[in-house]
Amino acid sequence: MTRISMTTIAASLALICGATSAFAHAQLEKATPAVGGTVAGPSEIRLEFSEGVEPKFSKVSVAGPAGAVSLGAAKTEPSNQAVLIVPISKPLSAGVYKVHWQAVSVDTHHTQGTFEFTVKP
Amino acid sequence: MRTPEIRLTAGAFAGAAAALWLTPAFPHAVCGSRIFPTTLAIDDPGVTDELTLPAVNWLPKNSDGVQELDIGGEWAKTIFPNFAISVGSGATWLHPGGFGWDSVETEAKYQFMCIPQLEFMASAGFSVEWGGSATGSQIGEPNMYSPVLDVGLGFGALPQSLNLMRPFAITGEISTTTPGQAVWGEEMFPTAFNWGFSLQYSLPYYNANVSEIGNEFLKHLIPTVEFAFSTPTAHAEEGTWGTTGAIQPGVVYMADKWQIAVEAMIPINGPSGHGAGVVASLDLFLDDIFPNTIGKPIFSQTLPMFTGAR
Repeated sequence: MTRISMTTIAASLALICGATSAFAHAQLEKATPAVGGTVAGPSEIRLEFSEGVEPKFSKVSVAGPAGAVSLGAAKTEPSNQAVLIVPISKPLSAGVYKVHWQAVSVDTHHTQGTFEFTVKP
Repeated sequence: MRTPEIRLTAGAFAGAAAALWLTPAFPHAVCGSRIFPTTLAIDDPGVTDELTLPAVNWLPKNSDGVQELDIGGEWAKTIFPNFAISVGSGATWLHPGGFGWDSVETEAKYQFMCIPQLEFMASAGFSVEWGGSATGSQIGEPNMYSPVLDVGLGFGALPQSLNLMRPFAITGEISTTTPGQAVWGEEMFPTAFNWGFSLQYSLPYYNANVSEIGNEFLKHLIPTVEFAFSTPTAHAEEGTWGTTGAIQPGVVYMADKWQIAVEAMIPINGPSGHGAGVVASLDLFLDDIFPNTIGKPIFSQTLPMFTGAR
């Protein structure tokens, strides 16, 4: 930027800091079962993102000792669009499970990640 | 960008789904599960809508042996999702030496590769420092032309048995700087080969992919160390042919829509400076703050990019 005046800088920062209706790409903040955690027998995968996500365009898959795990349809929590919930159709046997998720935030930014959790016997 | 009302209209989902997956947005330097932060000594390998303001650089003694303070900024604007132009400048205070505005620098940058499963991305750029735009103590340089190559590789593809290594990432940059005129006034301006790299350990990546971090502050940190060097290849004055550079250990705090980076700047030898300095910047992710207006590419069509997909 050429010759930025302090007035311009101040105005720009005020404009940016004052924005309230913006969205960002969704980063995974917390998961249940926890990333790298050990649990008894989860009935759902709950992913808490930093931003709202579109359940129609977001994907979650889980693979375990017996192969791919059957999952229900992904949906967001009614009161919080940043929480994606995926029901697990059948009880999981003991072992290590890998979760792969792809999220599309409400402003169409894509993010993805992979983590493991363990179901104890 | 569609409004929520349009996006939720029955019957529009099929078309929207196709559009979403075929024309993804590329915020910051994101490739697969990896988000490369903006670093200070070398550029990140991505293309983005971003405002760096301010970028501050303080050296107790620079290569000329005088105290230096620089405060500048840069604005990067995407023309296409993977092609951006940027413009930056700043002010410099030298003690002794006085004040001056630095040359305006412009760059065109094209991200031509992102292989998500490998967390590998690369971009090529061309930057120009417009010598005639400097003022005061910064007057006296010709235009400088620099083709640049930036790459980044996350370690997320490592096996789960090396889980603790997966948050690591490296980025690298090579460029050459060629003056428009090797002799300008009574000074010689060398052609130089510039090279650098960064090593990063992403705690946001650790939290999302390896093991949960309970502390809200820690899980946004990316400890980083950067290495940046420059070696003259032509037209250097006698006694200035050696490599100069700095090692910069520091940390990045990455939030959703902004980041702050702070690093020490340790010169590698006497010609690079004396004593440790400090460099810092605030980066605002305009694509996340204003996704529907100035943070959005002017044209939605992505230029050819290698993704490794068949």
